[in-house]
Amino acid sequence: MKKISFQADVLPLKDMLFRLALRITLNHAEAEDVVQETMIKVWNLREQWPGIESIEAFCITICRNLALDKQKKMVNQSQSLDESQHEAPDTSHAANPEQQTVANDRIQLIKRLMDRLPEKQRTCMQLRDIEGKAYKEIAAALDISEQQVKVNIFRARQTIRQQYLATEQYGL
Amino acid sequence: MDYKYIEQLVERYFEGETTLQEEQILRTFFTQEEEEIPVELRKYAPVFATLVHEFGLSLGDDFYDRVLKLTEEAPTVVKARTIRLSERLRPLLRAAAVVAVVLSLTQAMNLSLSQGQQQNDEINYADYKDTYDDPVAARGQVEDALQLLSEGYSQAHQGDTLMSVFPTEEQ
Repeated sequence: MKKISFQADVLPLKDMLFRLALRITLNHAEAEDVVQETMIKVWNLREQWPGIESIEAFCITICRNLALDKQKKMVNQSQSLDESQHEAPDTSHAANPEQQTVANDRIQLIKRLMDRLPEKQRTCMQLRDIEGKAYKEIAAALDISEQQVKVNIFRARQTIRQQYLATEQYGL
Repeated sequence: MDYKYIEQLVERYFEGETTLQEEQILRTFFTQEEEEIPVELRKYAPVFATLVHEFGLSLGDDFYDRVLKLTEEAPTVVKARTIRLSERLRPLLRAAAVVAVVLSLTQAMNLSLSQGQQQNDEINYADYKDTYDDPVAARGQVEDALQLLSEGYSQAHQGDTLMSVFPTEEQ
């Protein structure tokens, strides 16, 4: 097996882990803390690296567990407060500012719908639809079966579709 | 672009039946200019745009250095722990063992050499020289010496009774 390097194999996962931690904790600062703790924990467990099948799945597992712990500890979990901090600068393809705002609002709406999903569905959808991970990788990282991963993703997408279309049709 | 194909992909996406590659196609398709997307499919664009948007989130540049610093300090402490004392002293012990073997070998060699010399030290009668040239005079000397020895030997005194030699035996 390939020798694992912290700088080449673990540190570059930071943004992916951050997005996952953010999806779970829904808090920018907490998510950043979670990633830092994950990195240090993975580093301290480096004696185990040679026996690990996938360092990425190993990092995701640690990051998710730390994020879940953090989420439990968070007393005043505020979703709306945080949103202002990680708003995208410009993701819209529309030239006109009004259209841009509408597009941005829709993105924020879908993001909110995603964040309201049960944690497992949220995490599965995050890893599949945003990070582009295979079912097998997600199953390994979450320690569940591939079938369970598929079911979680299916339910997450169905919920997003139904709620989004309903909101678009009847307004917020 | 064949929109029927995209329509099918969208349906299969929500049914959880698309492959990673197909999902990438959807994300790419729905993030193009809105005008390029057929009206009936436009409603799904924000879903995929959100996925692409969320992928753009990242940590600040200082994070990399911060973590590197935190993990750099650790190894000196932890590494020292991983090497056990016996492992650390192993080369020294090996050297000591070699010295001990060499020393005991030289000691053993010294001993056998000195034993050999002792054997050489034994009396060699051939090396002795005669004291007297005249055999008669020599014989006289030997007789005198033997006489002297004989006088000193086997001379019991009057008082030497069993009682005086073993006084307690009688009682």
